[in-house]
Amino acid sequence: MSFVLVQVIVGGLLLGAVYALFSSGLTLVWGMMNVVNFAHGDFVMVGMYVAYVVYTLLGGGPLVGAPLATLLLATLGIVVYFGLIRDIMKGPMLAQILGTFGLALLLRYSVFWWFGANFLSLPENLVGGTFDIGGIRIQASRLLAGVVALLVTLGLHLLLTRTTLGSRMLAVAEDSTAAQLMGIRPDTMQAIAWAIAAGATGLAGALIATFFYVVPTVGETLGIVAFVTVSLGGFGSVPGALVAGLLIGVIESLSGYLIGAVYKDMVVYALFLGFLWFRPQGLMGKS
Amino acid sequence: MSMSKLVGLLSAAAIMMALGTSAFAQQKTVKIGAVFPLTGQAASAGVHAKAAIEVALDIINNAHPELGNFPLAKNAGLAGLGGAKLEVVFADNQGSPATGQNQALRLITEEKVVALTGAYQSGITLTTSAISEKYGIPFVNGESVAANLTERGFKWFFRTTPIATDFAKVYYDFLTEMKASGAKTDHIALVHDTTEYGASVAATITSAFKEKGIAIAQDVAYTTNATDVQSQVLQLKEKKPDVVIMISYTSDAILFAKTMQSLDYKPPMLLADDAGYSDPSFLKAVGKISIGAFNRSSWSVGAPGSATAIIAKLYKDKSGDEMDDTAAREMQGFFVLADAIDRAGSTESAKIQAALKATDMKPEQLMMGYKGIKFDDKGQNILASGLIIQLQDGENYVAVFPKANAEKAPVMPYKGW
Amino acid sequence: MRRYVWLLIALALVIAYPWVFSTPFQQRLGALVLLYAIAASAWNIIGGYAGQVSVGHVVFFGCGAYAAMGAYAHYGLSPLVGIPAGFAASVAIAAVIGVPTLRLAGHYFSMATIAVAELARLIVTNTDYLGAAVGLSGPTVPRNVFDLSFISALPYYYLFLIVLAITLVITWWMARSRMGFYLRAIKDSERAARSLGAPASRTKLHAYMLSAGLTSVAGALYAMMFGFVDPESGLGILISVKILIMAALGGAGLLFGPLVGAAILVPLEEISNAWLGGKGAGLTFVVYGAIIMLIARFQPGGILALVNRLLSKRKGAPHAP
Repeated sequence: MSFVLVQVIVGGLLLGAVYALFSSGLTLVWGMMNVVNFAHGDFVMVGMYVAYVVYTLLGGGPLVGAPLATLLLATLGIVVYFGLIRDIMKGPMLAQILGTFGLALLLRYSVFWWFGANFLSLPENLVGGTFDIGGIRIQASRLLAGVVALLVTLGLHLLLTRTTLGSRMLAVAEDSTAAQLMGIRPDTMQAIAWAIAAGATGLAGALIATFFYVVPTVGETLGIVAFVTVSLGGFGSVPGALVAGLLIGVIESLSGYLIGAVYKDMVVYALFLGFLWFRPQGLMGKS
Repeated sequence: MSMSKLVGLLSAAAIMMALGTSAFAQQKTVKIGAVFPLTGQAASAGVHAKAAIEVALDIINNAHPELGNFPLAKNAGLAGLGGAKLEVVFADNQGSPATGQNQALRLITEEKVVALTGAYQSGITLTTSAISEKYGIPFVNGESVAANLTERGFKWFFRTTPIATDFAKVYYDFLTEMKASGAKTDHIALVHDTTEYGASVAATITSAFKEKGIAIAQDVAYTTNATDVQSQVLQLKEKKPDVVIMISYTSDAILFAKTMQSLDYKPPMLLADDAGYSDPSFLKAVGKISIGAFNRSSWSVGAPGSATAIIAKLYKDKSGDEMDDTAAREMQGFFVLADAIDRAGSTESAKIQAALKATDMKPEQLMMGYKGIKFDDKGQNILASGLIIQLQDGENYVAVFPKANAEKAPVMPYKGW
Repeated sequence: MRRYVWLLIALALVIAYPWVFSTPFQQRLGALVLLYAIAASAWNIIGGYAGQVSVGHVVFFGCGAYAAMGAYAHYGLSPLVGIPAGFAASVAIAAVIGVPTLRLAGHYFSMATIAVAELARLIVTNTDYLGAAVGLSGPTVPRNVFDLSFISALPYYYLFLIVLAITLVITWWMARSRMGFYLRAIKDSERAARSLGAPASRTKLHAYMLSAGLTSVAGALYAMMFGFVDPESGLGILISVKILIMAALGGAGLLFGPLVGAAILVPLEEISNAWLGGKGAGLTFVVYGAIIMLIARFQPGGILALVNRLLSKRKGAPHAP
C-alpha cells in the first residue's frame, strides 16, 4: 500500500470517529424514544460556541470547554425535553419534525443574533499541534476527538447494557406502560436520556471546535452527516453509530482521494441507499 | 389666555409649519432598495455588505470634506437633487432566489424605491434583477460575477465588478511576471468548489490559460461546505504543483488552511481568488498560518490619509471588521448608483438609466482599483480590473502587482506558518 | 349540505382575494400560498394519507422545475411543455425509487428519501446539461403568453388556483376510493392491512407515483413564476422540509390541511421577513422558528385538526377520526 494511501485511511478513520462522536447523541434519543431530532446539528453548534466563549473569555482550552459544554447542553436537553419533546412525542412523527425544526431555527438564529454571522475559529495549537509518526501526520485535536468518541461509545454502551439505570431506560424504550407498572417513571428516564444525549452532543461540539470553524449555520452541514451515520448504524445502536461513522469517514477519504472530492458525498449516499436494500434496519439495528 | 397671546401662538405655529414643510421639501429623501443574504449560509457576506452600504450612506448624506474630491462626499446629500438625502431599505434574500425576487417586488411596489442594488449570490441577482427589468427600475450590481447576468439583453441592469475573464487576465499577467523574475510557474493546479462561482471561475481560467498555451495540470474540484478536505490536500501534496490557485468560500478556505498545516503541505506559490481569502474572518482565523498567500483583489487600503484609508476606517468603526474586497465592491457599486442619481438630478427611472449609461468615472473618483467605470451595451463595466495582494505579515494584505499600484514587492515562496 | 355552503363561501373568498388585497405584493403573496398549497397537497397523498413521511419530495419538485426551464433553455419551447414532461419523468423516477425505499419502515424511509434528494442535488450540480451550479433560466422577455412570464401576479394566482383545485379534487376522489381506504388501513397498521388482504406495496407505490407527479407540477409552476432554477432552489433539502411542515402544520391527512398550513406559513415567512429581515440580525427566523415550535408543541395534529375537533364538539357529534 502506498504511503499516501495510509495517510488517507488514517485521516478517514479520525474523521469517522468525529462523525461517530456527534452522532451518538442522536442515535440514543432516536432509538430510545423514536423521536427524530432535526435540531441535532444545532446542538453541536451550541457546543462549539460554548467552547469558543470559554476560550475567548476565560482563555481555557477543551479541558475547561468540553466539560462545561457537556453540562450546559445536558441542561438544555432536559429543558427541551420537558418544554417540547414530552408533548410532541405523543403526536405523529410529523409533529416531531415540525417541532424540532422550529427549535433548530430558534437555536441557530438566537446564536446568530448574539454572535453575528462571522466565521470564528480557535487557535491551531490549542491541543498540542500535530504528531508525525513515521511520516504519517496525526493532528492532536482530531486524535483527542477520536479517543473521546471511543470512550463515549464504550461508556454509553456499558451504561445501557450493564447498569440498572440503563436497563430501566431500555425498559421504557421497549414498553413505557409496562415499565410504569414495574415502578419505573418513564418521564424521568426519558429526561435522563435527553440529558445524556444532549450532553454527549455538546461534548462533541466542544471538541470539533478545536479543529473546525464555528458559525451559526454549521449545524446544517453537520446535521445531515449525523442523520446518515445514525441510519446506517441502525437507530438506537451506539456501537452501530461508531462503526458507521468510521466506515463513512474512510469511504469519504478514499473516494475523495481516488475518484475526486466532488464524488465522495455521492458515493456515500449511493452506498447508503444500496446498503438499505440489503439490510433495511441498518448495520446494528433491530429488525 | 388673552386673545393676543392666542393669536401669537397660532401665528408662531403657522410659521413653524410653513418652515417645516419647506425644510421638508428641501430634505426630500431618495429611497434605494438593497437585497442581500442577511441570514443563511452566506449571511456573513450579506451583513458586511449592509455595513458597507451604511458607511456609503453616511459619506453621501453628511459632509465629509476630509475625503477631498471623492464624489458626493464634500457636502451633505445629493447636490443634483437640492441636497436630497439617500435612504436605503434593506431586505433579506435568505439565500433563496425566490425570496430575493419577492423582496425586490416588495421594495419596488410597496417601498417605492427608485433603484435596486444586491443581491450577492449570482443566482439571486438573476431573479431579483428580472423583476426590476419588468418594472423598469435600474439595478446596479457591484459584486456578482456570473457571466450570464449581462448576457440577457437587459436594459436596466448594470454591473461594476470585474468578472472571471478579467481575473484570468490578471492571473496570467502576474504569473508571467513572476516567471520572468525566476519563479517556477509551469505546473499549475486549480482548487475550486462546484458552486456557480467556483465552477465558472475555474472554467474561465482554464480556457483563458489554454488560449495562451498553458495547460492546467491539476484540477481539484470539491463540494462546498465540506466537512473535510484532507484528500484534496494530499492530492496536491503528491503532485507537487508550482502554483496552486484556490477558488473557495470562507468555510472551505479556513478548512484548507488548517488542513494544509496539519498535513505539512506548502505549495511554492499559493494564489487565491478573492472570496473566502478576502473575508476578514479568514484572516482572523487562519491568517497566521497562511503567510505569503497571494490574493486577487480590487481593493487596497492605500496610504494613510487617502480617501480609501478614511473609508476603511469608517467601515471598521461601523462593522468592527476590516474592509474586504467583496464589501468594497458592493460599496463601489452603490456609489456609482448614487452618482448616477445625482447626475440625473431626478428620481425618474428613465433619467437614472440614462445617467448610468453615460457614466464615465475616472480612477481617482473611485475607491476601487478599477481603471474607471464605463458600461458597455450589456451593462458591464469595461474598465473593471484587479490587482494582486499578498498576506506578508499574516494580518493584512499589501498590494504587490501591478507595479504601478504595488506597495511592496512580492515575496516568494509561500511561507505558511 | 351545510358543508357545501361553507365550501362555496370559502371558494368565493379565495376567488375575490386578489381584488380585495390588490397591491402587487399582496397578490404575489396569494399566488405563493396557492403554489405551496399545491406542493403540500401533493405531498399529503403519500405523507398524510399513507403516512409515509417523505423528506425527499424536492426531487419531484426539482424534476418539474428543471423540465420547464429545460424545455425553454434547450429547445426554445414554452416552459408549459415541461409540465407533462416533468410529470412523466417524476412518475417514472418515483416508480424506480419507490420500489426499494417504500419497503423501509418509518424513519428509514424518511432517511432514504433524504439520501435520494441529496444524491440528486449533487448529480445535477455536476451535470452541465442541467446548467450545473449556475442553473437554468426561463425567458427573460416573454415571447408570447405561453411563456407564462407576467409582471402581475394575477394570472399566476388564478392558474395556481385551478391547478390546486384539480389537485384537491384528485385527492378527494382518491381518499374516497378503494385506494384511500387501503391507505388509511396501511397508515394505522401495515401488518394488519396486509393480513386483511390489502395490496400494501402496490397501493403505497401508486400513491407515491401520484404524489410525485403532482409535486412536479408545483415545481414547474414555481420555475415559471420565478424564471429560474438552480440546484439549491430546485433540489435543496429545505424545500422538502418546507413542503412537509406546511402539510403538518395545517393538518396532514386532511384534504384542506396543506392549504391551511400554506395560508399560515407563507405569509408568516414573507411578512416576518419584510418586518425583521432588513435588520440583518436573524430575528426573522427566531420568530418563525418559535412559532412553528409552539404550534407543534400545543397542536401536534395541525391547526385544522383542532378546528375539526372544536366543530364536532360544538355539534356534540362523536369524535371525528
